[in-house]
Amino acid sequence: MVEQLEPAVIELGQSCGHVNCWETMECGNDICVRYGKEIEFPCWLHVGYVESALGSCIGGATRQDCLNCKVFQLINGDSQTLNAIFRLFHSMKGSAGFLELENICGVAHAAENLLDLVRSGGIWIRPQHVDLLCTTCDFTKDALDYLQDNLSDKGMAEDARLVRDNLTEAIKQANDALDAGRKTYLTKDGAKEPEEERTADSMQENTSSEKEFLITTQMVEHFVQEADELLQAFEQGLLKWINSIDDMEILGDLLRNIHSFKGNCGFFGYVDLEMLSNKIETIMDAVKEKANVDKHKAAKVMLELVDVLRTAMFDISNEGAGAISNLPLYLELIESLLPKGWLVTPGKEKGSLFLGDLLIEQGSVSPKEIQIALEEQRKPLGDILVKKGVVTKRQVQEALKKQKEARSMMTVAPVIEKKVKVAPKDVLKRQDIRVNLTKLDSLINLIGELVIAEKVVVNNNDLHDLQLDNFNKAAQQMDKIVRELQEMAMVIRMIPVSGLFRRMIRLVHDLGAKSKKRVVLKLSGEETEVDKSVIETITDPLVHLIRNSIDHGIEPQKERRKAGKPDEGTVRLTARHEEGEVWIIIEDDGKGLDRQKIIEKAISKGLIEGDGSELSDKQVFSLVFQPGFSTADKVTDISGRGVGMDVVKQNLKKIQGKIDIQSRQGVGTKVTLRIPLTLAIIEGMLVRVGKSKCILPILSIQETFRQDSNKIIVSPDGQEIVRLREEFIPILRLHEVLRTEPDYHKFKDGILIVFEAHEKKACLFVDEILGQQQTVIKGLSSYIGNVKGVSGCTILGNGEVSLILDAGTLVYLAEKQEDNNRTVMKGGE
Amino acid sequence: MAQNKGIVEKLDDELYDEDEEDAQKDKYLTFHLAKEDYGIEIRFVTEIIGIQRITKVPDMPDFVRGVINLRGKIIPVIDVRTRFRLEPKEYDDRTCIIVVNINDMAVGLVVDEVSEVANIPEDQVEPPPRTGRGDRGRFIKGMGKMEEDVKIILDVSRLLYDEELEMLKGAAPAKEKKRATAG
Repeated sequence: MVEQLEPAVIELGQSCGHVNCWETMECGNDICVRYGKEIEFPCWLHVGYVESALGSCIGGATRQDCLNCKVFQLINGDSQTLNAIFRLFHSMKGSAGFLELENICGVAHAAENLLDLVRSGGIWIRPQHVDLLCTTCDFTKDALDYLQDNLSDKGMAEDARLVRDNLTEAIKQANDALDAGRKTYLTKDGAKEPEEERTADSMQENTSSEKEFLITTQMVEHFVQEADELLQAFEQGLLKWINSIDDMEILGDLLRNIHSFKGNCGFFGYVDLEMLSNKIETIMDAVKEKANVDKHKAAKVMLELVDVLRTAMFDISNEGAGAISNLPLYLELIESLLPKGWLVTPGKEKGSLFLGDLLIEQGSVSPKEIQIALEEQRKPLGDILVKKGVVTKRQVQEALKKQKEARSMMTVAPVIEKKVKVAPKDVLKRQDIRVNLTKLDSLINLIGELVIAEKVVVNNNDLHDLQLDNFNKAAQQMDKIVRELQEMAMVIRMIPVSGLFRRMIRLVHDLGAKSKKRVVLKLSGEETEVDKSVIETITDPLVHLIRNSIDHGIEPQKERRKAGKPDEGTVRLTARHEEGEVWIIIEDDGKGLDRQKIIEKAISKGLIEGDGSELSDKQVFSLVFQPGFSTADKVTDISGRGVGMDVVKQNLKKIQGKIDIQSRQGVGTKVTLRIPLTLAIIEGMLVRVGKSKCILPILSIQETFRQDSNKIIVSPDGQEIVRLREEFIPILRLHEVLRTEPDYHKFKDGILIVFEAHEKKACLFVDEILGQQQTVIKGLSSYIGNVKGVSGCTILGNGEVSLILDAGTLVYLAEKQEDNNRTVMKGGE
Repeated sequence: MAQNKGIVEKLDDELYDEDEEDAQKDKYLTFHLAKEDYGIEIRFVTEIIGIQRITKVPDMPDFVRGVINLRGKIIPVIDVRTRFRLEPKEYDDRTCIIVVNINDMAVGLVVDEVSEVANIPEDQVEPPPRTGRGDRGRFIKGMGKMEEDVKIILDVSRLLYDEELEMLKGAAPAKEKKRATAG
């Protein structure tokens, strides 16, 4: 839940604009109190719309009109997002309250208050508010971590107080500004709506506007599954309860189940379901509180109601709205079960959400007063106003007509929207189960071992030279199945990158604020799936790359304007499948890499010789991956030490990934992380030198050939170079890398393999090529750590361990040799 | 007889609480190397296997013999003789690999011959003698007395990691080194 919260908060912040109403609406009403003035709070709501008879705005007649007004929406941000955030905080508060986690509950409550103020037009969302809400998210995350370790949030009290105080302070400031604004702009003394009415009012809106949402099919799927589980648990609990009607424990379970069910329904905006389950909860609560309820009858009714809920759930899974026909009938049925007077104070459940109840709890008002207030509130607002003499009846009627039109529009729109959003049926019927990750990992490990064991059996030495037609047939069949099994295992581990990407939203927001640049992050291809370990490995690189983009790439606003770019910088994060790999692309529209500066720096560090003019852009840009390489003039607290890109390179290497940098000065930079689809298996070429067998990844191999020794050029420093068509390629003798004794020293006896990595070619001299095979990559033990030229190892058909060569470092080694390290190597010949 | 029965019962008890630390206390796996008997705490030992084909890994210190395949798992193997700078000896059918597990990492130790599991009470273990000669003493955790015999009790983690290894790994980035030490 928290994970969804943060991006939504930032999204909201970004969607808030700064507009003036008279400009946007092209309003010519210059006697309006708002006309030509920048007002510190967003809308008429508090300067008065028509119904409150204070404002002079001709655009809005009712509160609803105001809330639907274009200006209001432009200023207050995307209302759907706002509602989604509100709901998230609300359910957080609900769950926390239910579990008696007071600190989390308190913070969520304060955040809710702030949001409520925003929603009702009380304040503009300013960056500081977004920051505040982000801090709240942080706190929640910390608190949840703490909770996991300590099973209580008591220790977070201090933090909670801090966050809560900040939130309250922000609310207070906003309210002060509001009051000040009222005084300044209003001639009449504002007939203040009582606070509670406003809150209660917005609560009502909350339910009525609940159907506009950010809810995806995926979420609905989850909802249906979870709700189904809950209902099933509830039903079974009920059956148990019927047999032992006084068992409080079962009752508690029942309450919890139906409460979560209600919460979920509320969150997804299935009003009917929420209402019915709420009633069921009330009755359960009444039973728990030992009210005078016929328990057996209640149980029977509830069993029937479970069926009703089920039918509604079925409707939802078939793209329905989850409406319950005859809802009033059922509600009445329940109410008839309840003892008299029970419903009057329905707020006895924990974590009550109604302001009135809270006030009673605090002891500041008596239930009776609330009752009266509620009575009053139930009357149409218009009537109250007429009574107060602030508007005429006709005005109200006119306004009501408008309101009706607006409402009918409102109810139609979401329905259409929903139809578009909900994907085909079969997607909804997908079934998921949650599996413990360790179980999954051990399954995958076992499958990996099975693959090896199968090879050991089929290629067993004992079978050598035997005539085994039937065995071979069976072995082939088995090979096929095992391979499919392994592919499945790989698919199981695949998860979409969306979670990772969404985490970056916060990062971009924070960094943008820190470096005082306006930056938007655009995401695409979030649904692309990659291996779980890939996600873990590329998180750090992504953070560094995005930091670089914002800190070095995107220019300050002034420079951007000068260059004719929009004020707002864009960082684009894309994931997609390409060339049998997954590409993660980080793109910005900043100033790009400065080729000259990199070359200068590289020369001064002695990384390249000459003036660097003969190097390709790619070669130049790859210099930035050198540890400690930075062209930044000064080190900021975000970046500039030249560590980040090294991290990127190291992490990518771990998962056999590659990095491409494209950049045009003044236009932007594009970094592509290319990650192989399956990490654990590679297609490899088995080669032999002396007694050692090694695997060279087939993807890097270009060709193999034999060459006479006299065709080999030996440079003065001893480097052997072979000429292949128009190219000169350095030769690396594998036995020198492995430090073993080869069978052949002469080139004509062995074989040369040309391979490529990092756009460079090298030639590997080996004794013999043994063949091609699928290999399951295993890491060398962490005890051994990184080995030069080796990326891992695998187990061969006969159970032997064989090293997997790393084409990248081998190319590098071959190059190093060229430098002058030959003296040591020559000893081996 | 009665005494014997007592021992059997005691053994049974120990088998049942195998997971508990108490049962493994004071127990040492002893092995023979060159002319001496050594012991390592039993709680580190996961299994003992016969010698098998070891795949060499380049650029390792000489005592790291390479890696082996232990039922699908890759584990590194250390030659204890080389580690102690003793004369190398051809591996034969008595040569064993003791698989130890430290900080969730399995490592094989090649020894000449495994002897037995011995019980050496704490009060029978003397602190290592201070010898001026060489630095091999650093692997020793104590001297276990068993009647006439003396078992040299080894510090397993010292055996695996020390400055020497770190130095040899100097080429690896600092991060890697740290990880290796951490286990």
